[in-house]
Amino acid sequence: MSEPILKVEGVQAKYGDFIAVHSATLDVPEGKIVSLIGSNGAGKSTLMDTVAGLHKPSAGKIYFKGEDITGLPAEKIVLRGLSLVPQGSRCFIRMSVEDNLIMGSFPKTARKNVKKNLERVYSLFPVLKEKRNDPSGSLSGGQRQMVAIGRALMTEPDCLLFDELSLGLAPTIIKDIYANVKDINRDGTTILLVEQDTQRAIKTGEICHVMLKGNVVLSGLSKELGDDEIKKAYFGI
Amino acid sequence: MDNNSLASARKPVRVLDGPLMLIICAVVVAILIILGFLGLPNNTLRYFFKIFLYIVMGSMWNLMSGFTGMTSLGQQVFVGLAGYSVCVMTTTCGMSFWMGILCAAVIGVVFSLLLSTFLFRMRGMYFAIATWVVAEAICTWFKSWEFVQMGSGMKTVTRPKPTTLDVYIWALTLFVIAMVVVYVLLRTKTGLGLTAMRDDTDAASSLGVNIVMSKRLVYIIAALFTALAGALYWINSGTIYPDSGFDINWTVAMVFIVIVGGIGTVAGPIVGAIIYVVLSEVLAKFPGWSNIILGAIAILVIVFLPDGVMGTLQKKLRFDIFSQKRFSEPKAKNSKKAA
Amino acid sequence: MQIVQLIINGILLGGIYAVLGVGMTMIFGIVKLTNLAHGEFVILGAYASTLISTTLGVDPILTLIVTIPIMFLIGMGLQSGLINRVMLKGSEPALLVTFGLSIILQDLMLLLFTADARHAGGAYSSIVFNIGPISIALLDVILLAISLVTIIILSLFLKKTYLGRSIRATSDDTQAASLMGVSVKKTYGIAMGIAMATAAVAGLCIALKWTFYPSSGGGYLLTAFGVVVIGGMGSIPGTMVAGVILGLAQVIGGANWGQLISYLIMVLFLVVRPQGLFNK
Repeated sequence: MSEPILKVEGVQAKYGDFIAVHSATLDVPEGKIVSLIGSNGAGKSTLMDTVAGLHKPSAGKIYFKGEDITGLPAEKIVLRGLSLVPQGSRCFIRMSVEDNLIMGSFPKTARKNVKKNLERVYSLFPVLKEKRNDPSGSLSGGQRQMVAIGRALMTEPDCLLFDELSLGLAPTIIKDIYANVKDINRDGTTILLVEQDTQRAIKTGEICHVMLKGNVVLSGLSKELGDDEIKKAYFGI
Repeated sequence: MDNNSLASARKPVRVLDGPLMLIICAVVVAILIILGFLGLPNNTLRYFFKIFLYIVMGSMWNLMSGFTGMTSLGQQVFVGLAGYSVCVMTTTCGMSFWMGILCAAVIGVVFSLLLSTFLFRMRGMYFAIATWVVAEAICTWFKSWEFVQMGSGMKTVTRPKPTTLDVYIWALTLFVIAMVVVYVLLRTKTGLGLTAMRDDTDAASSLGVNIVMSKRLVYIIAALFTALAGALYWINSGTIYPDSGFDINWTVAMVFIVIVGGIGTVAGPIVGAIIYVVLSEVLAKFPGWSNIILGAIAILVIVFLPDGVMGTLQKKLRFDIFSQKRFSEPKAKNSKKAA
Repeated sequence: MQIVQLIINGILLGGIYAVLGVGMTMIFGIVKLTNLAHGEFVILGAYASTLISTTLGVDPILTLIVTIPIMFLIGMGLQSGLINRVMLKGSEPALLVTFGLSIILQDLMLLLFTADARHAGGAYSSIVFNIGPISIALLDVILLAISLVTIIILSLFLKKTYLGRSIRATSDDTQAASLMGVSVKKTYGIAMGIAMATAAVAGLCIALKWTFYPSSGGGYLLTAFGVVVIGGMGSIPGTMVAGVILGLAQVIGGANWGQLISYLIMVLFLVVRPQGLFNK
């Protein structure tokens, strides 16, 4: 297996006195789709925020492409090629779709390829091209998710984190978006996928991690992990 | 550092409020009364008079901002209205100043009740500015209202003229009553609910407190006592103008007192008011610089000592004077407020 | 005819009010901060323009070349050196810090510039055009033009540049903006710098149009806030319309009642439509 592009070692994250992530350790090998599952409140989203730099870890180390990025702010981490599509898409709702996407080119490294990247996003999500001048606040949930994905792609990431990709979306849209995720991976971007939809995550991700109560309790190749084993880890029984 | 704060968190907070503390307070008040009758020089009495009034106004601002999260920048409206009430009753109507004080109290309550009906639709910054705009509007109106002699101001004609000792005793009485009211209010379900609301909206609603009614009660009490303090001030001072009555500096002083003393602590405004009055007397020797220095001190306190003098002492030494249990520690939540 | 004259005067005045409010609305909308020192900064700009123009003997408008960058730097310095620090503690401490700043600035200006009334005059100050029964002062037209140019440049900057987009993005969602590589603190600094630059422009307009004192800031702050309340925070078209509404109120109410009418309109908006004219 290739050298992991992202290594999380014993990361702890707290909100005030509340410890959301106790000690999370996981690897994301380059070029793969990796899924991270766990029940509500297992600490998945906090871990994602911490890796992306939105939240400061209180212990542990995070390495990206072999370099220590622990505690760097989000705006520095994205420059290194790690981008997060946050839970609930978090579009800039008062800005047009195209302005949202162009915001993804804010990192200086990405600016020279704005046009090219914009075309790539529009070919991935044709509906966004139609609505390019609409404020993103007027879009449907699925379309907003597309904007958020497109925006993250515009930053030219080597590794993309998706937090609760399918949350609140209709099944047909979820199917389309998952197809897109696979396309993005095929183009060479490593993907870490956080999901509550366990079945889909296991089917999509080559490698699977399971979180429970703030810890990563099970890791392995998805096809080698048994249903029972996952269920046990997921529910902690 | 983490371990340290955890360790200190485990050490219980000593709440100083048993009978012993009440006795100490009673003794202090008794000494203050005796000192007055023993014939302290009038200048000293005036010092104390000012301190008492500022403690009252500061405590009321603290009650609103520190305990219930209503930051008003328009409390001067009650000071000014009270001053004009006293002047109109004594001068225009020729009545005793006691009627003036009564009138100030009634107007304070009625006007705050009126204002609360629409101010309470606003939150945070909007509330703060709206209160200020109202005060400015009233000030502008008074400047062109003949009944209050427009911009040329009004005088209080008090017969018999109260002595310095009289106003000292009245201010002391007001101060004691105000502190008792704050103490009692914070102990009631209403007070607990409001503090809970400031700290955590969910906790408050689960307590089943009618938040709007409670906030309104606090707002009216604050208006009433600010008006009473204002009435005493203007009885002593004698002349009021729209620009001095409705001066934003009244609120500036309250803010300073609460910030420096310790926002959200009962004892904070007392310490803050003493510091404020002493400082402004000292700084009066440097005309022009006093507000600059007061402003700078306030900013430095906010940056380096955000809990104020009393708040910092209480945290460091783990004690709490006359306080209720706080529901949570400082708001660490980075909650995004929807616009 | 008198009505037409009044409306024209109101619109001309509205330009000044709009530029007075545009900095306030930016800070309100982007940094989520009520800058209670905005009025004092405007007056600081007025003093700077007046003093530089009398010292160097140049036209007051030319002083913008100096005052805009200086005010920009002051704003950025204040935001990154002071206000960003207290903003971590919540919105109230930040509000109170700007309150403290306004007191300090006001008395500092009193010490430096005395309580005397000041005014800046240009060669065009007394030229009046008469079109039929309607008279229009050249000065008013120039001030409206300056205000409009300022606001147009600002809105183009916000719409068309990376920096401008990042400012808008930050105002929508700070975390999502930081995921795009935007440093929120730096953006706040720049936004405050820009707001101060517009305060320099507003200060110039006020110095040319009226006399001013160190204590004039409070009144202009409330006018600026009126623009924010009526126009809706962060809305540039709203700012222009709100400026005109307040300008008309001022003209119609005259010296005695103009201010009171403006305050009443503000209170009305705060009660009925706190989100302003143009925001939903």
